[in-house]
Amino acid sequence: MRLDKALRTARAEGRTIAVPYLMVERRRASRLKATVLALREAGATALELGFPFSDPIADGPVLEAAANRALRGGTTWADLLEAARVTSEVLPTAVMTYANPVLRHGLEAAARTLGGAGISGLIVPDLSLEESAPWRRAARAGGLSLVLLAAPGGSDERVARLARSSRGFLYLVAYYGTTGHAAEGNRVDLAPLVNAAHRAAPSLPVLVGFGIRDRASAARALSTGADGVVVGTALEEMIQRDPRPASIERWFRRIAGTPRP
Amino acid sequence: MPERYGPYGGAFVPETLVPALAELERVWKEARRDPAFRRELSRLSTTLGGRPTPLYFASRLTRRAGGAEIWLKREDLVHGGAHKFNNALGQGLLAQRMGKPRLIAETGAGQHGVATAMIGAALGLRTEVYMGEVDIDRQKPNVDRMRLLGARVIPVKSGTRTLKDAINAALRDWIANVRTTHYLIGSAVGPHPFPSIVTDFQSVIGRELRRQAVRAFGRLPDLAVACVGGGSNALGTFHPLRKTSVELLGVEAGGPAGSTGAGSLSYGRPGILHGALSYVLQDADGQVSETESISAGLDYPGVGPEHAWFRDSGRVRYTAVHDQDALRAFHWLAVDEGILPALESSHALFAAVTEARRRPKEQHIVVTLSGRGDKDLGVVLGATR
Repeated sequence: MRLDKALRTARAEGRTIAVPYLMVERRRASRLKATVLALREAGATALELGFPFSDPIADGPVLEAAANRALRGGTTWADLLEAARVTSEVLPTAVMTYANPVLRHGLEAAARTLGGAGISGLIVPDLSLEESAPWRRAARAGGLSLVLLAAPGGSDERVARLARSSRGFLYLVAYYGTTGHAAEGNRVDLAPLVNAAHRAAPSLPVLVGFGIRDRASAARALSTGADGVVVGTALEEMIQRDPRPASIERWFRRIAGTPRP
Repeated sequence: MPERYGPYGGAFVPETLVPALAELERVWKEARRDPAFRRELSRLSTTLGGRPTPLYFASRLTRRAGGAEIWLKREDLVHGGAHKFNNALGQGLLAQRMGKPRLIAETGAGQHGVATAMIGAALGLRTEVYMGEVDIDRQKPNVDRMRLLGARVIPVKSGTRTLKDAINAALRDWIANVRTTHYLIGSAVGPHPFPSIVTDFQSVIGRELRRQAVRAFGRLPDLAVACVGGGSNALGTFHPLRKTSVELLGVEAGGPAGSTGAGSLSYGRPGILHGALSYVLQDADGQVSETESISAGLDYPGVGPEHAWFRDSGRVRYTAVHDQDALRAFHWLAVDEGILPALESSHALFAAVTEARRRPKEQHIVVTLSGRGDKDLGVVLGATR
């Protein structure tokens, strides 16, 4: 199934949308399928496949280290495509990576190649709305939903514009900061932003990401009216702690099973 | 001010930074038109910074080259020992105007960190400087200076542990603290409007140079030469000259002989790094390359977007100078003129001497001596030994 359809269906049925994030890493390729199957069993709605970048400015220490490790281990674009073919058989899959790797492969060519490997969404954390027009065209031509990010500090009007331009879902960054952990005082009330997005694009799911690590943080995110959550850093930490599929399934089920209020 | 230089520039940043960049652009545009702001900038440039800097005829270096006259635009005499002061002062005043009590900066050679620390102290703004561990080791005197000036130096242990990753760390800090913090970026790089702002504040170099050249030898120089890392001293020199007939030469760090060093314009290709589209040293997947240069201030795989456009349009010629040649130029200037140049500026000096040799005595070459070399004694003595 495709990303946008899967998310809309889950939302229509009142289910919590849960999207885990996995960094592509060559030395983890052999157990990728088992991991994604476990995540699906645990209730994942879709998957974000991260392609590592040398300069991940939106990422905190855990995902930065994971990217560095993946790159040192020789992970390339070919590994991403191979992973995409595996995961998209199991869950609707979006690719998350920074602007330069996509640009280097050519916007149109990259979108086409990713689409051909089963990818149905693209998330680029350093792509602003102002720069996004050619990216949206290329994504559309390749059959990908280009997911835009909204963040604290944006006006209601800006969040509305982002929601209207985003496809698949709107990725709402939970706090001022990088992935993984909010510093004291950097959280904001997300409810007005979620509202603004829903008003502007009533059928577009809004997912909260950054700092979602357990049932409590997922519940807090859902209490804003959001439709679901993205879980990245905490999953990477979980895999480092205990990569067994049964353990991952047990752990992720707690988050994915968090009910919407 | 353009958001784009040809196809280059733009603002490729996480959404969290978009409102801050918009505010910065608005405040800067207001400030440029505000006579009070301009008076204050000019007053502090003069009384704190020591501007204008002189244009000096390097007669013995000219004799060594045996061709065109070599003149030095003495940015090494600016307060703090480099052109970095010009930009730090301007942006410091903008931070004050925005009511942001905290400055953060990245630094490679330490010169921008020192300039930011000085301005932070002078304007009463808390200052924290990100610096790669590799650079902390090779530019120790500047680390001590920043600390004595009241700034906190935060070592960057990730990635290359040089300038590139110091910028990454500063951007991450800014994303988290954007409501209270101004990111005082040190070169004409980064997302719009930073390249335009930095070039604007550095253009005092080229404006003075024009005036001084006419006064000193009756006309504009035939050639202006400046080193290019991120490229702010070069843009400060070139921007006011771009519509004249003066030939412009940018000099990148070529690293050890046989390497591509940090020559993004010479060896890179278009890419997005630190929020802008420009030339970037990168591999086939768009992963940014590690660079290598004897000079920490040029050791950067990207370059300001206006340089990318100057390169493509042919308005500026770019070349790369290897470590050993930069060291030779360092020693030439020391013994010929009694000036210790920064290793960054030594790259431009070597290229200027090479050009002077090929040109008739009637021509004039101006080199922007972007900084002084006291900070580099350890590296120079180590390399000579």
